[in-house]
Amino acid sequence: METIYQILHTTFANVPAWAVQIAAFLIPIAFIFGVYPAIFALTTLVERKALGRIQNRYGPNRVGIFGILQPLADGLKILLKEDIVPRVADKFTHFLAPVLIVIPGLLVYLVVPVAPGMVAVDLKIGVLFALAVGTMSVIALFMAGWASRNKFSVLGAVRAVAQVVSYEVPTVMAGVAVIMAAGTLSTLTIVQRQGGGLLNISNWYVFRPWGLVGFALFIIGGLAESARCPFDLPEAESELIGGYHTEYSGFKFALFQMGEYLAGMAMAGVTVTLFLGGYMGPGSGPGLAGGLISMLWFFVKLAGMIGLNIWIRGTWPRLRVDQLMGFAWKVLLPLALVNIVAVGFWHFLTPRPLAWIITTGWLVIWFLVLTKCNASAKLEKREYRYV
Amino acid sequence: MNYPGKGLVEGLAITARNFVGSYFYKDRLTTVQYPEERVQTPENSRTFPFLVFDESPDKPRCTACKICEVECPPKCIYIVMDRDDKGKPLQRPKVFDIDISVCMQCQICVEVCPFESIKMDNDYEKSRYGRFNDLVQRLPDLLKSNAYYNKIKPAEAAEVDAKLKAEAEAKAAKKAAAAAAAAKATAVPPAGSVT
Amino acid sequence: MNLAFWIISAVTVLGALLAVSLRNLVHCVLALILFFIGIAAHYFLLRADFLGTVQILIYVGAVAVLILFAIMLTHNVTGTDGPREILGVKWWSGAVIAAALAILLKKAILSDPLAMVLPAGDKAQSSVAEIGRALVANWVVPLEAIAILLTAALIGAVVIALEEIQKSR
Repeated sequence: METIYQILHTTFANVPAWAVQIAAFLIPIAFIFGVYPAIFALTTLVERKALGRIQNRYGPNRVGIFGILQPLADGLKILLKEDIVPRVADKFTHFLAPVLIVIPGLLVYLVVPVAPGMVAVDLKIGVLFALAVGTMSVIALFMAGWASRNKFSVLGAVRAVAQVVSYEVPTVMAGVAVIMAAGTLSTLTIVQRQGGGLLNISNWYVFRPWGLVGFALFIIGGLAESARCPFDLPEAESELIGGYHTEYSGFKFALFQMGEYLAGMAMAGVTVTLFLGGYMGPGSGPGLAGGLISMLWFFVKLAGMIGLNIWIRGTWPRLRVDQLMGFAWKVLLPLALVNIVAVGFWHFLTPRPLAWIITTGWLVIWFLVLTKCNASAKLEKREYRYV
Repeated sequence: MNYPGKGLVEGLAITARNFVGSYFYKDRLTTVQYPEERVQTPENSRTFPFLVFDESPDKPRCTACKICEVECPPKCIYIVMDRDDKGKPLQRPKVFDIDISVCMQCQICVEVCPFESIKMDNDYEKSRYGRFNDLVQRLPDLLKSNAYYNKIKPAEAAEVDAKLKAEAEAKAAKKAAAAAAAAKATAVPPAGSVT
Repeated sequence: MNLAFWIISAVTVLGALLAVSLRNLVHCVLALILFFIGIAAHYFLLRADFLGTVQILIYVGAVAVLILFAIMLTHNVTGTDGPREILGVKWWSGAVIAAALAILLKKAILSDPLAMVLPAGDKAQSSVAEIGRALVANWVVPLEAIAILLTAALIGAVVIALEEIQKSR
């Protein structure tokens, strides 16, 4: 916001300062409200078409060429649906839950930098803010399930809360590794630290051993926090009808979908910022041309992460709830702690090749140990009695 | 060699191959975009009966013998023979109704028809807006040419055509033999008169 | 005291009052969440942004969820079975005790040198690095003690769950 204020102030020098300040305040908010829901609408279409191609069929292609007007048709349909509230539902909570699930999703975008200096609010505690606001959606999930007065919804809500809360811990710890390496909590500074190097690429944290593990942890945590496949047990259609959003219809349901997708994209944005170098890429730098190229790089990386999410959704089966919790607490959490120790090694071992070797070896050993300890028991060869 | 997560990575590789392949190899996408494209139904598929005519719709093969009406299990056929002004039956139907909401596609009418005139169609787009009257097929709807029959069921139609031709030739040969015998009988009386 | 302080305080006190007086227990918890967010806003106003964010992360993200789970197990959550006791004997005795406690606490807090109103300085920016350094240099013993306490609680929870599983087998 400060950067935008400076730019506007120097361009329109004779406009009073308070007007420039209001403009500098409104432009990033308009950007967030305009761009990200548009990306959400496009993502719903791209996801359906990509899933269709993976499953040997076309996606929606009737509404407009290549189905490009499908999000519009979906939006119109869901606006015109009847809004059914169960008679015994807790009206206030039932109404508030979809609203409360969209707000944290949108708030995270405030600290995601899109171009050099272009972040809505440059908080000194940017990463912590993003993670803290992400935990606020837990309340909304529980409220949604509870207010519907439906046993299946409560079950879905309880499972959703357990899942989100369990997967927050490895996610935050993976973020801590990046914070330790960068030495700051501000997202803008973290992205700037990942510049330089070969083509502005080789300094990305994903190319470090601890960064790769952290990247994997953060992706898995991000998938789990927004309840996407393979962690979409809260809305498992084959088991709980709809989970916590069973009793919602019409636009409230659309708000749930929007909140889930926005949270997923926000986690993708934070992943890009922390591990993939944010807006850094060949040609990004200060100035107008560099800024536009940076913005292009950021959205290309965001699209790549969203594509990875869609690919994973089309491939892996859903995890059962005990497998889910076991995976979080028994594999991911120790791996995250080990990752933090690895960053410590990286920071304090001075000859670089030695740091690479020791860190990589430490992480590989612990990965193998953890997967070996948690491997499910091998089934014995079955004996058939009546063959 | 087994590494942890091997199944996950192989799964991702398979779906990636499906995704990329669906753009380059058309046989990966098995979708048929109805109603612009239609799947070719096999030759033996059948839906509802129709009547065959040879040269023109005024001369159908059907002679209104009413065997199919009697043999139809759910009684979906209704036939009225055409009569001329004096009440003499012309060998063709005036009314031939099949109620396709009743027809159970058992093909018994085809099996019992002695004139090879009723055959099974394979047209499945029979939805109508009315529930009762619109689903009754009258005589103009049912009359379709032999050329159409050859198109939808070539092998069967060829067989039927061969059989009809053989019958016609046998009848012609028998008529010729009878005419020759009659000619020989009338031309026979020799010089020796009958006493 | 600027306008922001009065607005945030009003919202916080409203949340606290609603939390003790609403009929439906789940609504009370929602009001409590409003209260927590108000306190976090106060922290932000005092330029303690790390503390404010951690307040949201811990209180709203974890403690409120814990309270919600506990409420799920109580009966009469809607508060509609039975009459409410307002301005009865119990209510008055509770109010008297709360008032006495408030007066004692106010005296105790204001007599501490920490509670002096410091001169307003815009340069007072808290930094996470300083908090971290203070934690591991000056206050390392309380840090480790809290860590041991939390670990003991975690292990205790696992032990209780293990007992249940073994009993059910």
